[in-house]
Amino acid sequence: MSARTLTDWQIVVRSLRARPLSTWVTVGMVATSVALLLVLLGMRSSARSAFDRGSGNMHLLVSSDPSPLVAVLNGIFYANPPANPITWAKYQQIRGSFPWQWAIPTQQGDSYRGYPTMASTRDFLEKFEPVAGEPWKLATGRAFKRPFEIVLGAAAARGTGLAVGQQVFLTHGSGQSREGADDHAGHVHTEYPFTVVGILEPTGSAHDRAILIDLESSWILHAFDRREREGSHAKVTAADLTEADRLVTGILLRLPTRAGSEASAAMQQQFDTLRRDTSIVVAQPAQQIERLFAIVANVDGLFIGMAVVVLVSSAVSTMLALYNSMAARSRQIAVLRVLGASEGRVFGLVLTESLLIAMAGGAAGIVLALVGGMAASAWLRAAVGLVIDPSLDPRSSVIVLGGTIALGALAGVLPAWRAYKVPVADSLRPAA
Amino acid sequence: MADPPLRITDLAFAFPGADWSLSVPVLSLAAGEHALLVGGSGRGKSTLLQLVAGLRDASAGSVEVAGVRISALRGAARDEARGRRIGMIFQTFNLLHGFSAAENVLAALMFSELPAAEHGARAEALLGRLGIPDPDADVDRLSVGQQQRVAVARALAARPALVLADEPTASLDPANAAAAMDLIQEACRADGAALLCTSHDPSLRSRFARTESIDPFIKGGTS
Repeated sequence: MSARTLTDWQIVVRSLRARPLSTWVTVGMVATSVALLLVLLGMRSSARSAFDRGSGNMHLLVSSDPSPLVAVLNGIFYANPPANPITWAKYQQIRGSFPWQWAIPTQQGDSYRGYPTMASTRDFLEKFEPVAGEPWKLATGRAFKRPFEIVLGAAAARGTGLAVGQQVFLTHGSGQSREGADDHAGHVHTEYPFTVVGILEPTGSAHDRAILIDLESSWILHAFDRREREGSHAKVTAADLTEADRLVTGILLRLPTRAGSEASAAMQQQFDTLRRDTSIVVAQPAQQIERLFAIVANVDGLFIGMAVVVLVSSAVSTMLALYNSMAARSRQIAVLRVLGASEGRVFGLVLTESLLIAMAGGAAGIVLALVGGMAASAWLRAAVGLVIDPSLDPRSSVIVLGGTIALGALAGVLPAWRAYKVPVADSLRPAA
Repeated sequence: MADPPLRITDLAFAFPGADWSLSVPVLSLAAGEHALLVGGSGRGKSTLLQLVAGLRDASAGSVEVAGVRISALRGAARDEARGRRIGMIFQTFNLLHGFSAAENVLAALMFSELPAAEHGARAEALLGRLGIPDPDADVDRLSVGQQQRVAVARALAARPALVLADEPTASLDPANAAAAMDLIQEACRADGAALLCTSHDPSLRSRFARTESIDPFIKGGTS
């Protein structure tokens, strides 16, 4: 004989197994809602850290965009090419206004198959770190040394399929076509072929989508365009560039810091000084990302609220499934009472069933959230280069699991009360 | 002298709004005694057994089972006393469906005074004695006769002083009714349990040394 004793636990498990469909559907509902809530909570903090990547080790971003937030969206997340340029004289003025650790000029505006270009000096690859403390690393090839050389961000390389040694023509403008699609929306600079010389390793930032070229090449392209509009078709060289051609759309600034520190004591003072210049916009990227999250916080809260509603709905389903089963189980409960089970004990048995459903659903939900989070993370990294950490926040997990179990207990109270009140003598009558 | 398995004194009960009531001045059973309680259907025999088992509350009087006044106990204490002192057999067996034969017996042992270490052996011995070949078989797969044996084994599992059998042969043909009563009475004798059995079947009278009619205990109604 296999069973030597019978325990309350075995009775509970046997009761749940006697209604497999109802039990598994209810556990599945709880698991789905727990996973949804955990993924949303996890994504919220992961998305935050993903957005924090990209501004890297810069302290300030200068541009001529309409606002600091737009400057950050354009200059770090490549939302749109900045419309208003900054003159080279202004760049030099800013560079000379303070003993910056570095001041890197950038120009955006061109693209290749929807991937935006970022024209800059070699400092962009050598001094700017897309993620603070994590410098660029070349997966293959080398950094650009001469004009008309390209270094591809990891996502751009994957999306375009370009390899070191291949030649491409950049397109004037961006945002006209999907990334990876053949782009005929803008003017193609067929006069100046660029050669791919390097491909960067992924950084998990928006810079992975960028096509990096040197600033002088970008100036030559736009100088040629300008002269062409004026009727000249002669090829432009570096020697032909004028002040009107030497334009930038952004300046990345880093203040001197003590070794091992990212913060600078002079930050606020320099920020205020630059802000007095009304011809430019100066942004502290971290502050702007904070603002961005404040803007989306309401939507974020709505999603979390919806997930909580789903969780509560699953608790209601648990309650209904158990409550409805009580009618069919009144005889079994009455038999247990005849055998010596107290009202409190049958109350506990039914409450344990509800708790077991909640615990099984909660545990399955955590597994589901981990698997779903990993899948979503892999997809986001592959599709948009956004690095989302799929691991679950232990604090959130404990709170959600605790809440689920508490809801499970609450959901079990009504069915357990119905079991408690089963009229024993009447329930044992032979069926008519 | 040991307390009798059953002693009823001045017991009174009436259903709300009913035109009849139950009144039992004295009724007792000696240790190991088997008594048949006869009377027509719906005459209150089952109600009396339910009062003895503490499944209903009497309006007056007392029910004492093996020295414990069941009628004076409330809640978990009454349930515990019932589980330890009374075994019940029903017309439709009322087995726990989805559980094995052994588990049905073990369910009764859960609430008994027997140490948990002895539950398995007790269940195995009872089922073996009553001819259940596979104790691990789900009760729903057993024949009607085997189900009744499991019900008897369960009623006796906790070594009760008193077994209450409520119309155990009502749905059986005469041959099977005789076999069922043989089984119940032999099992109770083997365990030394007193038996109070209700039936509207007069043919069972010859099996019992003592027969009581429900009629003297009924007041009012259509007698």
